[in-house]
Amino acid sequence: MNADNTGAGWVGPLAAAAGLALAGAQWFIFGYAPVEATMGVVQKIFYPHLGLAWWGMFSFFTVFAAGALYLWKREARFDRLAGAAAEVGVLFSALALVCGSLWARPIWNVWWTWDPRLTTALIMCFIYAAYLVLRASGLGRERRALVCAVVGVAAFLDVPLVFISARMWRSIHPAVFKRQGGGLEPEMLLALFVTLFAFGLLWLCLVALRARQLAAAERASALAAGRMGL
Amino acid sequence: MVLTLDRVAKFYGDKPVLREVSLALAPGQVLLVAGENGAGKSTLLKVMAGLSRPSAGTVRQGVDQSRVAYLGHQTFLYPRLTALENLRFWARLYGRDGGEAALLAALERVGLARAAHEEAGSFSRGMAQRLSLARVFLVDPALLFLDEPGTGLDVRSRGVLRAEIAAARERGAALVWVSHALGEDLPAADLVLLLDKGRAGYFGPAAGFAAEGGGA
Amino acid sequence: MIRPALVIAGKDLRLVLAGGVGLAQPVLLGLLLVFVFSLARPAGELVPPQAAAGVFWLASLFAMVLIYNTLYSLEEAHGARTGLLLAPLAPQAVWLGKGLAGAGLLVVSQVVFLPAAMIFLGQDFHGGVGLALLTLLAGDLGVCVLGSLLGALAQGQAARESLLTVVLFPLLVPLLLAGVRLGGLYFEGALEWEAAASWLGLAAAFDAVFAAAALILFPFVYTGED
Repeated sequence: MNADNTGAGWVGPLAAAAGLALAGAQWFIFGYAPVEATMGVVQKIFYPHLGLAWWGMFSFFTVFAAGALYLWKREARFDRLAGAAAEVGVLFSALALVCGSLWARPIWNVWWTWDPRLTTALIMCFIYAAYLVLRASGLGRERRALVCAVVGVAAFLDVPLVFISARMWRSIHPAVFKRQGGGLEPEMLLALFVTLFAFGLLWLCLVALRARQLAAAERASALAAGRMGL
Repeated sequence: MVLTLDRVAKFYGDKPVLREVSLALAPGQVLLVAGENGAGKSTLLKVMAGLSRPSAGTVRQGVDQSRVAYLGHQTFLYPRLTALENLRFWARLYGRDGGEAALLAALERVGLARAAHEEAGSFSRGMAQRLSLARVFLVDPALLFLDEPGTGLDVRSRGVLRAEIAAARERGAALVWVSHALGEDLPAADLVLLLDKGRAGYFGPAAGFAAEGGGA
Repeated sequence: MIRPALVIAGKDLRLVLAGGVGLAQPVLLGLLLVFVFSLARPAGELVPPQAAAGVFWLASLFAMVLIYNTLYSLEEAHGARTGLLLAPLAPQAVWLGKGLAGAGLLVVSQVVFLPAAMIFLGQDFHGGVGLALLTLLAGDLGVCVLGSLLGALAQGQAARESLLTVVLFPLLVPLLLAGVRLGGLYFEGALEWEAAASWLGLAAAFDAVFAAAALILFPFVYTGED
């Protein structure tokens, strides 16, 4: 396994680009996109909410794909990628839920709606938080990577089932609350795309940095073990 | 060849436990695996038995899985089942359901006939290992892995062990034997593999090993 | 794969049921859950049928975790897990065998939970028993499929039992929703095919997806490594 010095190359500029993109997105959200007629300024939390939710979901897909790749190839880097993606995914999803809550309160006067998408995000948070607890448990390294990969694959298979069941559940109590559906003005759409792009860059930075941290930690413990003659 | 290893390596993370081990074992041969503590003997045995995937290289067993057996520190017993029930379970899994008579005969051979209806949990270490032995020889193995099987056994049990191993050899079984008591077990071996920090320090005929001053 | 699975299931059932102590913990835990929940009911008020169904399924889930942890711990005492992996059978036979044994034990536990839920939570028998049984079947199937897969994860170690719970429960949410919805309808006396069909379909899909996944994934969870 070679020292991962090549990583330093692209993450730095990427982080700078992410910062600029996020700043740009802020302008698009507040300066460019119009204020929504019925909901007012509060509606603007929808942009980061969607950015976080989308990339949180993509994180979980990454955990699934990295897990499957690890089961196939048994290369440690896939295990580390899965771990990093899970952490960022839980963070992003939790923040997305908070945004959703902050949005719901002034508009519909409740802290939580059983919207199927929000419900799915909440369950996913639980599942992947459990995944992180599993990673931190004291299993032997190879076994832990295998077990986590299996749970990561199973968890993602569960997502569509959770979503469908949440939707069926909600249809029993018909919605008084309607989500921001289509009917976005073109300026809003553009602001949304910029936000999604900016959050994507941020996601990539965070996952890459975290994965490199995990690799460095492993090298450090291997060195320490070697020094102790183990 | 009953067992072939081709440049097998095993890493736990970055830590190498086995490095480039190659060997071949023919039917009827006894391979003695020796080395210091931590040299990788038990790991090698696991890899050879197919319990652990090698990080590199290949392991090939030339016999059907139903004729591979393993005798080690752990006895594979269920403490709350009787000796007979334990034996019956493993016999069924291996497709050797020869009926009560065959099972009792197997227990007789290892001197446990009178304890057939006792719970295995009440057995001494020697009795448990003998029950394990009965399990192994019910399978009639063509490839047998032994991981320091004599440890902690009383004289009687060790005698039974030696007798059964000799009988297996006679039937053409190949044996892989991890041993600590090199001097004691060397005469029984055909081939020797000496592991030194995961690397094959010596692999070849036992006679050659003794000549080089090994087993001292 | 079927024959070895049956041999393993038979052995497990004998080990757990002999002496009767094996099932005591899961059954007691479930009963306690039902009882404590019934205390939360204000005097004179009825427990909503859906809530009663929810408690029944929660009791079942907690029992299931204990059951599968016990089943897999049977193989750890004297290294029998190694013996099973060496035996001439597909590793999935272990998953299937323990899945079957666990399903049997779970059903026995539920036979106790159901009347307890009805008595303590004030519910009654109704028509639509056939559909209710179908719900139980579909729910228990999925629960056991995942329970047997992830029970191997904990390998019966006590410290990991809570880990198993934390990982397993959120994964089972779709089944839980189906079971609670249909169970609630049954206790209301309103369980009929039209309402039940889509939920049963969801449960069946869940069972199929995870049975297929378990067949592929089990050998990775149950290995000779520690």
